Amino acid sequence: MSELEQDRRDIASVLQQPGARPDPSLKITRRTFIHRSCLVGAATVAETFAWWPLLNTLDIAHAADAPFKFAWISDTHLYPRSLNTRFVEKTVRAAKEVQAMNPPADFLIFGGDLAQLGTVEELELGNELLKEIKIRKVYIPGEHDWYLDMGKKWGQLFGQPNWTFDHKGVRFIGLDTISRAPDYWSMRKMSAKERMDHMSVLDGTVAGPWAGVGRDQLDWMQKTLSTWDRNRPVIIFSHNPLYEYYPPWNFWVRDWRDVNEVLKPYTKVTNIHGHVHQVLYNEIGTMRSIGMLATSWPWPYAPEGVPKLTKPMIRVDPGDPFDGVGWSPMSVAADDKIGTEYVMWGRKEVFAQSTEDSHENIPEKLRPRVADNMWPY
Amino acid sequence: MTDRTRLRTALSGVSVAAVLAAVAVFVGPAGAHKDPVTPQQLKAYEDALMEQVKLGDLLFHGDAATEKNMGVSLSKTGMACAMCHPMTADTHPHTYPKFQAQMAKFATLRDMINWCIEKPNQGEMIDSDSDAMKALEAYIYWSNTGSVLIPGRY
Repeated sequence: MSELEQDRRDIASVLQQPGARPDPSLKITRRTFIHRSCLVGAATVAETFAWWPLLNTLDIAHAADAPFKFAWISDTHLYPRSLNTRFVEKTVRAAKEVQAMNPPADFLIFGGDLAQLGTVEELELGNELLKEIKIRKVYIPGEHDWYLDMGKKWGQLFGQPNWTFDHKGVRFIGLDTISRAPDYWSMRKMSAKERMDHMSVLDGTVAGPWAGVGRDQLDWMQKTLSTWDRNRPVIIFSHNPLYEYYPPWNFWVRDWRDVNEVLKPYTKVTNIHGHVHQVLYNEIGTMRSIGMLATSWPWPYAPEGVPKLTKPMIRVDPGDPFDGVGWSPMSVAADDKIGTEYVMWGRKEVFAQSTEDSHENIPEKLRPRVADNMWPY
Repeated sequence: MTDRTRLRTALSGVSVAAVLAAVAVFVGPAGAHKDPVTPQQLKAYEDALMEQVKLGDLLFHGDAATEKNMGVSLSKTGMACAMCHPMTADTHPHTYPKFQAQMAKFATLRDMINWCIEKPNQGEMIDSDSDAMKALEAYIYWSNTGSVLIPGRY
């Protein structure tokens, strides 16, 4: 049994005991967009995706005081405008659409990876483009924003990387899951650019397990939550998922066990995260996790570890830069339900409708790369 | 005529040159794959592959120096192959050849590599038999070691 499998079994035995699920008032409903093929009896489709067949939104109930909306954008990965105009166009489009929300969103959460290589030019470009959005904005960092100058420019523009506030009956927490990488650069005498280059490659093997919350931040989160009723809703924003999905791509935080220890007493925790550039849904213990689309490009699902509760997104057309990417408006309705919608520009149907529409249709085995471990780094 | 009779015929002649030629034919190059393979040979074959795999890995991840050395320009947008295909995920070399919807034609992996260079990356297509193409192909196949051949799978 691999170390990873052992980890998964351990966490299952601790957190996935019979009956341990998020509070039942947090309910995902099937809703909207009933496709014609479903009504005309597409039995094979129904067999493959027996539950959750044809929906474009998630509805999650919370006990909020009053209805409101908020919006998520992340993973714009901006290069300088002179190098790549497509990423700029998509960021502009997302910003305009968020600004055009009616009724307006109460705030925007930007979920990290504003820049691609963390340069001042890229970060300032992103800051300029997001000025199109006039509502309140909160930010958490991604690894691409950070490792050129270790967060200096990002901090100047956006302030503290972790924070908390209460809004209409929900406690929101923004986490920094990216700044605590083990030092892989000093011993190898890397330049700042070399350090950033290794961090900027998803399948790099040099930066290692860089995603983590850290003991100090866990203590801070525990303290923050200690004043909050255990049965009231908590929404945690993070760049990386707070569970273990695929460590080789840092689709996790390395201290996910500790995170779950802190969150275990709270029955209505929803984690909304970026980094994965794909539709994802999971439940670990009493926590729900929802993965968000990037505006830049979609990542494929990892070759293993995709949560069983995830209904896969549709396989995208690589010839259309607007396919497989987008943003998310979220609404909290008067009946206390939070709706999470994926706005995927290239598609009406976000989810795979058949086996053939899914990435899972083609099994693959993959090896980690080798060339980035050769000298010089 | 069997190999044995051919050898006997050669040896029956008076020409030393003919004998030497026969030795060259039957013991030299032709014999190289008839002897038990040595660990040194295996290592040389493995090294030959891994050299290409590493070159392909660097090209696939947008290494500017390797592109320059090989005289190719695979992207003009900052996009590298690995940005959509970490660890070559979703390249699916084991499904080629197949009808490729993007090109509306029956295509090889090399055709698809060039399509990605030209369209999403907006780079310059490379010769189908070029060193860069062989290196990219080597890396993609190596990385998918163990994936089961299913040619034609959509």
